[in-house]
Amino acid sequence: MAFAECIRLSKHFGGVRAVNDLSFKVDEGEILGLIGPNGAGKTTVFNLLTGFYRPTSGSMLFRGRELSGLTPPDIVGLGIARTFQNIRLFSNLSVLDNVRSVLYRHARYGFVEALLRSPRVRLCERHVHEKAMEYLEEVGLADRAHDRASHLPYGLQRKLELARALALEPVLLLLDEPAAGMNPEESMNLVELIRDIREKHNLTVILIEHHMDVVMTLSHRIVVMNFGEKLMEGSPEEVQSDVRVIEAYLGEEYAGAYRR
Amino acid sequence: MLLQTAITGLAIGGIYALMAVGYSLVFSVLNFSNFAHGSVIMLGAYAGYFILTKAGASFPVALAGSMVAGAVLGITNERLAYRPLRVRNARPLYFMISAMGVAIFLENLVYATLGAHFYSYPEVLGRSIVRIGGASIGILDLFALAFSSVAITGLHLFLHRTKSGLAIRACSFDMTVASVFGVRIDRTVGLVFGLAGALAGLSGIFLGMKYMAYPTMGWITNKAYVAAVIGGLGSLPGAVIGGIVLGLLETFVSVYVSSIIRDVFSFSALVLVLLAMPNGLMGKYVEEKI
Amino acid sequence: MYIQGVLTVAMINIISTAGLAVFTGFTGLFSLGHAAFMAVGAYTSAILTYFVKAPYLLALAAGVLASCFLSALVGYPTLRTRLRGDYFAIATIGMGEATRVILENLKITQGARGLPGITQYTTLPVAAAAAAVVLLLARNMLASVYGRNAVAVREDAVAAEMSGIHLLRTRMISLVFSAGCAGLAGGLYAHYLAFIQPVMFTMVQSTQITAAVVCGGTGSLTGPALAAFVFTVAPELLRAAQMWRLVIYGLMLVLIMVFRPQGLMGYRDLSWQGVLSLSDRLRKSVAGGKDGKG
Repeated sequence: MAFAECIRLSKHFGGVRAVNDLSFKVDEGEILGLIGPNGAGKTTVFNLLTGFYRPTSGSMLFRGRELSGLTPPDIVGLGIARTFQNIRLFSNLSVLDNVRSVLYRHARYGFVEALLRSPRVRLCERHVHEKAMEYLEEVGLADRAHDRASHLPYGLQRKLELARALALEPVLLLLDEPAAGMNPEESMNLVELIRDIREKHNLTVILIEHHMDVVMTLSHRIVVMNFGEKLMEGSPEEVQSDVRVIEAYLGEEYAGAYRR
Repeated sequence: MLLQTAITGLAIGGIYALMAVGYSLVFSVLNFSNFAHGSVIMLGAYAGYFILTKAGASFPVALAGSMVAGAVLGITNERLAYRPLRVRNARPLYFMISAMGVAIFLENLVYATLGAHFYSYPEVLGRSIVRIGGASIGILDLFALAFSSVAITGLHLFLHRTKSGLAIRACSFDMTVASVFGVRIDRTVGLVFGLAGALAGLSGIFLGMKYMAYPTMGWITNKAYVAAVIGGLGSLPGAVIGGIVLGLLETFVSVYVSSIIRDVFSFSALVLVLLAMPNGLMGKYVEEKI
Repeated sequence: MYIQGVLTVAMINIISTAGLAVFTGFTGLFSLGHAAFMAVGAYTSAILTYFVKAPYLLALAAGVLASCFLSALVGYPTLRTRLRGDYFAIATIGMGEATRVILENLKITQGARGLPGITQYTTLPVAAAAAAVVLLLARNMLASVYGRNAVAVREDAVAAEMSGIHLLRTRMISLVFSAGCAGLAGGLYAHYLAFIQPVMFTMVQSTQITAAVVCGGTGSLTGPALAAFVFTVAPELLRAAQMWRLVIYGLMLVLIMVFRPQGLMGYRDLSWQGVLSLSDRLRKSVAGGKDGKG
């Protein structure tokens, strides 16, 4: 049984086939790169996996469990977390509160208890606060805990999203273009951070990325998509030298040049 | 009796449809509920009244005048109360609050300045009755129905046959992409509000003629909102269908059950439709880009 | 005596405003129908004390429960979609109308003429105590998981779902809480005024409460409470006619949205720390000015 798997997954929006008959497996503990030109359907795959879209056909399995039809909160409960292409932070909240909001899912008290602010509530608050700070320290944002999320520079906002995803204690982490907008130095720092996080938390990662250096350095395997379908999959070396991939990204002329 | 009820229902349904279309037009392009639509309708009714009485103009002039007044009001409303929010990408809640503010402001401004009088329109079209089958329909209702159909058809043709209409439809799908393709957003949005305002002005004068002009008549528009939701927010055909269906159903309930239940009925209908079809009959579910 | 009356009404308004602050300010949803929840609370409790001679607290509780029930009924079908609050807003308009019609036509409510002769249980101490309790409960709720979830949903519904938060559940809890507050306010009001009529609970009331929340600040509890107090007291001082008051509220709503959507207090609450730090800053800037610096 594969750790996670898409089997003939399709998502059609009217006439547009965002994802078409896509199948691939993810092994436990690996970092799988998901690449392809813009519009290839990569983020749609994430949206399907996390329950924001329902598949038109096909299925998605996670640890043997069918994901289609589950709501995002359910899927989070199974241990899947994701970051978003266009960062989705709680802008008006502080950095600390952004992470705290995620940790409240462990709260085990009822509404009446909440109204009365029982000792259990207060204990939960303290616990949440501590854990949130831990996650912030891990990504290096602890010193900015009380800043407003919208005031953070772009690179740090991405880190905050990462911290928030980690706070969900996932086993499968979906990263959607985490290096977008970063310069080469920042990208390499990010690579290190992702590696460390994966080690420390025993994660499996699916990574959508356009920065080829990041993808090729991090991924154990890569799936290439184009026009909603799987073009090929293989190791970074195999993918880099595949003519079809080059053609998909750069067009036929360059592929022709490459062949020669 | 059945036919009569149907015809009466159709008459009021036509007005609901006209109001609902103006509201849905704004919703479909900007994705927000213009709760100030009712005030424009109300001011259209007043405009028509004053044009007829104070300016002593003829009916066609009054008709045109209230449409123009509505359009101008709509455009000004957008410029002052919504554009500042739109350019900041404010969240939908803020738009609704601003719209509500405009509605309360205008309604009570009229109340405070002109007073609570109910202004009664002069007899413009006469009181003759037209007989269809065994049923009768007033000449005013018939005219309103006919003119509304013309207006809505005109809108449809405008949206589908002109370049500006194409710009509007492009914006309703994706404003950012539309602007990349050269659509002038500010101008197009202004146009949308102008059109919606004109339709509102038209609804206003018809309502004014049918009933009367008074400050709180904007709240009749609530029926239009319900109609638009039933038909599906954002869909113009849905608004028309929703308006007519609501008008018919309400009238049937009013005649065969009890006229008091009428308002309760429209609310229940709303809840039931939403339970069964969360996006109304023909609603456009705007999938936010995730 | 007159001042007592005004203050009592102010306390009652603080209660309904606190509820709406939770719903609109913290959960980010627009409601045009909270006056209807007040009406339900008012009539339920008044009918119980008037016809059945029920104890005051019990009647108030019943009013609260009735409002909560109504809000759940309206909220469930309309709060389900991921993004749009429009359906709910329009449904609340319809609910307001429907409630008014029903109240005007039931025998037990004595129709449009209203229900007179209600015992005046609500005195200033009672209202003030109730306001204090409600503010405390609201603050506790907002500081708990229920409030945090509501804020997350307000900020970004998609990200909130991806953080494990159930949208409908969160919104419903906020709604029912705020409706309960409105119901309590209605019950208190009925037993203060000793007379209620359906027309007392219309869009006008909903607008005033909304204006107080918006001006006081989204994301703040003390801001709206303060605003509610000012909005009750100031017009009495100025002897402003009802209709001009509303013109100003309407204008304020637009101006605030355009120029300062976060309202007076923004996302902060009044606290001793806040007051102290504000006075600190003021002192520093004055001292700095004197030195020719800053």
